Amino acid sequence: MLANVNVLLLDYALGSLKRQGGKSVFILIVLSLLIFLLASVLMIADAIKLELNTTLKTLPQITLQRFVAGKQTNVSLSRVDTILAFNGVERVMPRVWGYYYFKPAGVNFSIVGVDAYEEPYKKRLSELTRTFDLLTLEKEGGMIVGEGVKNVLQENYYSDFFNFITPKGERYPLKIAGVFHSDIALESNDLMLVPKQAAYAIFGMSPEEATDIVVHVNNPVEIPTIVQKITERYPDLRAITQDDLRISYQNIFDYKSGFFLSLFIVCVFAFFIVIYDKASALSSEERREIGILKALGWRMSDIVHVKFYESFVMAFSAFITGFCAALFFVYVLQAPLLRSVFIGYSELKPPFRLPFSVDVKMIVLLFFLSVPVYIAATLIPAWKAACLDADEVMR
Amino acid sequence: MSLTPEIIALLLLDAVFLFFGGIAFVLSARIAWRWRSHETTELQYALHRQSYLVSVIINYIFMLKIPLFAFFIYTCDKLSSIITGAMCASGVVNSVDFGLYLTLFKIVNLYVFGFWLLLNDADMNEEKLPFTRLKFVLFMLFFIPLFAEIGLEIGFFTSLNVSKIVSCCGTLFSAASTSSISLLFSVDEKIWMMIFYGCFALSVAAYGSRSPLASVVSNLLLALFALIALILFFSPYVYELPTHHCPFCLLQKEYFYVGYLLYALLFAGTFYAAAGGVLDLVQKRYTKRFYNLSLFFNTLYVIGISLYPLSYYLRNGVWL
Amino acid sequence: MIRLHHVYKRFAQGDEAIEALSDVSLEIAQGECVVLRGASGSGKSTLLSLIAGLAQPSSGEIRVLDREISKLPEHLSALFRRAHIGFIFQKFHLIPGLNVEENVIAPLIPANLPLHVLQEKARAKMEALCIASKAKRDVRRLSGGEQQRVAIARALINDPVLILADEPTANLDAKLSTELIEHLYMLKQSGVTLLIATHDPLFFDLAFVDRIIELKNGRIV
Ligand SMILES: Nc1ncnc2c1ncn2[C@@H]1O[C@H](COP(=O)(O)OP(=O)(O)OP(=O)(O)O)[C@@H](O)[C@H]1O
Ligand SMILES: [Mg+2]
Repeated sequence: MLANVNVLLLDYALGSLKRQGGKSVFILIVLSLLIFLLASVLMIADAIKLELNTTLKTLPQITLQRFVAGKQTNVSLSRVDTILAFNGVERVMPRVWGYYYFKPAGVNFSIVGVDAYEEPYKKRLSELTRTFDLLTLEKEGGMIVGEGVKNVLQENYYSDFFNFITPKGERYPLKIAGVFHSDIALESNDLMLVPKQAAYAIFGMSPEEATDIVVHVNNPVEIPTIVQKITERYPDLRAITQDDLRISYQNIFDYKSGFFLSLFIVCVFAFFIVIYDKASALSSEERREIGILKALGWRMSDIVHVKFYESFVMAFSAFITGFCAALFFVYVLQAPLLRSVFIGYSELKPPFRLPFSVDVKMIVLLFFLSVPVYIAATLIPAWKAACLDADEVMR
Repeated sequence: MSLTPEIIALLLLDAVFLFFGGIAFVLSARIAWRWRSHETTELQYALHRQSYLVSVIINYIFMLKIPLFAFFIYTCDKLSSIITGAMCASGVVNSVDFGLYLTLFKIVNLYVFGFWLLLNDADMNEEKLPFTRLKFVLFMLFFIPLFAEIGLEIGFFTSLNVSKIVSCCGTLFSAASTSSISLLFSVDEKIWMMIFYGCFALSVAAYGSRSPLASVVSNLLLALFALIALILFFSPYVYELPTHHCPFCLLQKEYFYVGYLLYALLFAGTFYAAAGGVLDLVQKRYTKRFYNLSLFFNTLYVIGISLYPLSYYLRNGVWL
Repeated sequence: MIRLHHVYKRFAQGDEAIEALSDVSLEIAQGECVVLRGASGSGKSTLLSLIAGLAQPSSGEIRVLDREISKLPEHLSALFRRAHIGFIFQKFHLIPGLNVEENVIAPLIPANLPLHVLQEKARAKMEALCIASKAKRDVRRLSGGEQQRVAIARALINDPVLILADEPTANLDAKLSTELIEHLYMLKQSGVTLLIATHDPLFFDLAFVDRIIELKNGRIV
């Protein structure tokens, strides 16, 4: 029935939309707005997912954390050599890192201990450390900080050094030896790179321990077997693989956008009823027009076709409008208000640009979520209109 | 259960189908019960209008079902990156016990509702509306697979467990699999290939004989054996891997989404002959257009799928 | 051409039933021009809509061009109208917001013909009725007489063999009425069958009217 398009009928439908004027404009605006909202949410979620995936790729293949009584605690350095002896393990690195709460600004800094003689466990860190001389850093008691950290410190009048307070209550000053800029800023904006022994002092940790252990393997396929071997040897170690992280992030974001979609469906339902109502309420002119056309030899299916074209044109133009508006809102304006829902409010995190990620899949998805639903809402009203008695115009 | 946007979209449209399908079902029951084709009372007049509503609804559902089927497979494909062990849609589909039945129902429904629309057209072209009762009784029957499909789909997505480890297509479509598919592997794949070409020859012969019944039978056989031959014989040539037999992977980007085209051709070809043939049997006539279309699409499919082993042979000088 | 056989039409109005037509039988030959006269409410419009297949009789049989139109399902009777019948309504019933040409081609829009074919057809009809110069004008900005002619052009666009006119002069002054009658005369000359429902006395002593049928309370007298 709907397979071959009658161009004249389509043209008639366009004219009829024009003649309805205000009603069409109202529906178009509301529908565009809904699609815009939906498209924005999906685009932000996708962009953040992409950003996270880029970040995740730089994360270690296996991270080992020690759990005692359900809480993460430090791992003894003596385990490093044991793990290194397992078949397939390429490198094992103990890490010293943590958060330092800076009370005056009410923010947490991420502190990572670096060692001049160790290959950093992250590609990104190694890029950072290559531009700064770690040996002099160690000798002179300096640190390298992210741009966000630098700004916060400056606001609190620490322009060339910073006094850490150790758990024992002593001061531990470190010079700000350098500032790094970050393009992928989600993770590195709040970062402080300090020499390893400084990190031990700031956290008050014993030098025989590490926060956690990072393992690299030769062949990624072997990751599950190696994880199994390690956790059999040390039952108190919990292993997190890159894949685990990827899946859990993906789940979180699917969940968040799913939550939005569920809200959206409530809107859709309300909208469905509004449209049904609007489409059913025919003015006396419209009724008369349909009566005339039927008397002139239009079939019910011709009337339904016109109505179908009307709603398709309507839904499709709203789809295009909403989609383009969302593109502009998300990628040009960087989605004010909406993005904070997905990222959280941490002071130091925000400044990064949403990477552009729009694919056919998202367009198809948006299409299925909007156009068929709108058409469905107008299906029965269209049929009802087509059922109007033609002999009314005879009186 | 994981509510990705794709799943929500599919479930939302399922709800829409269920709603409209329900309306159509109630109306069909009324029409099937009270239709008298020779009477011209107000009631018959009203029923005729309602029957038109049913056809509008079914048109709507059918027009959406075709792209949605592709979208369903696509969604499963996408989920395969989340679910451990799944490499393509087949792993996801098979991660739930009834996943394969869901897919089968989807395919069957496409044939069945396409047939209904053809029957509807034939009915509406006749002054006496000879098939009205038949078509609504049939719709009530066809509603069962539609309902089953929607139910299975909802069940499928709610019981989908992202942390469960599933098998990938490599094991599902191999002789080692525990399912009935492995039985097919016990026969030499060359035989399946020959049966497939045999069925095609049969359908061409049926076209020549101008017999609707022969066309229906040969095309149903063709649909079945084309699938089997695709899994067992042709797919390794598409993937250029002797052990890869998956019918889903060829829907992936790596193979230029060629599966969507091939399956569409196969469906269109077998559909026109099978559904059109049944219609011709009912009407006791011969509509040449159906069989022309069928032959056209079937031939395109056969040429398309045959190109893979041929080009492989030409490039490598051996058969897989 | 047209044959009515014991046609009844009842309308349910609350509890009571109104009999708009009772036991109407008549026959109209090809090329005839028949005037249907009767007071207001006598059932003229009802009879026309039955003949056009816009409504079904309560009982009886109606054949037009040897098709039993009273038994045709809705979509086929619509096709029948599109193919064979032209309609002139009581109040012109043009579609406001469309221009003259669009109004004229309206009956054939669903026929899936190319636009230029329709435009040629419309041009021919509009020229015959001297409204071709106004083709692109909105029908709301036409005089009564011009609207009348657009309505006739529209009735003729499908080259009908039967024209049904329901009180075509009801809203026209004397001058326009005579003009309309001239158009009808020309149609009659070209061999079209005419059925005109009216109570305008102008029609009752026209030379080209073959027959006058009088309706009274739904019966032929
Ligand atoms: N849809 C309807 N429902 C109820 N009664 C109707 C309906 N249509 C017509 N009637 C009744 O049928 C009778 C005939 O109506 P009809 O319109 O045929 O009269 P008419 O001869 O055309 O009158 P007029 O000259 O005023 O146009 C009237 O009594 C009218 O009230
Ligand atoms: Mg009247």
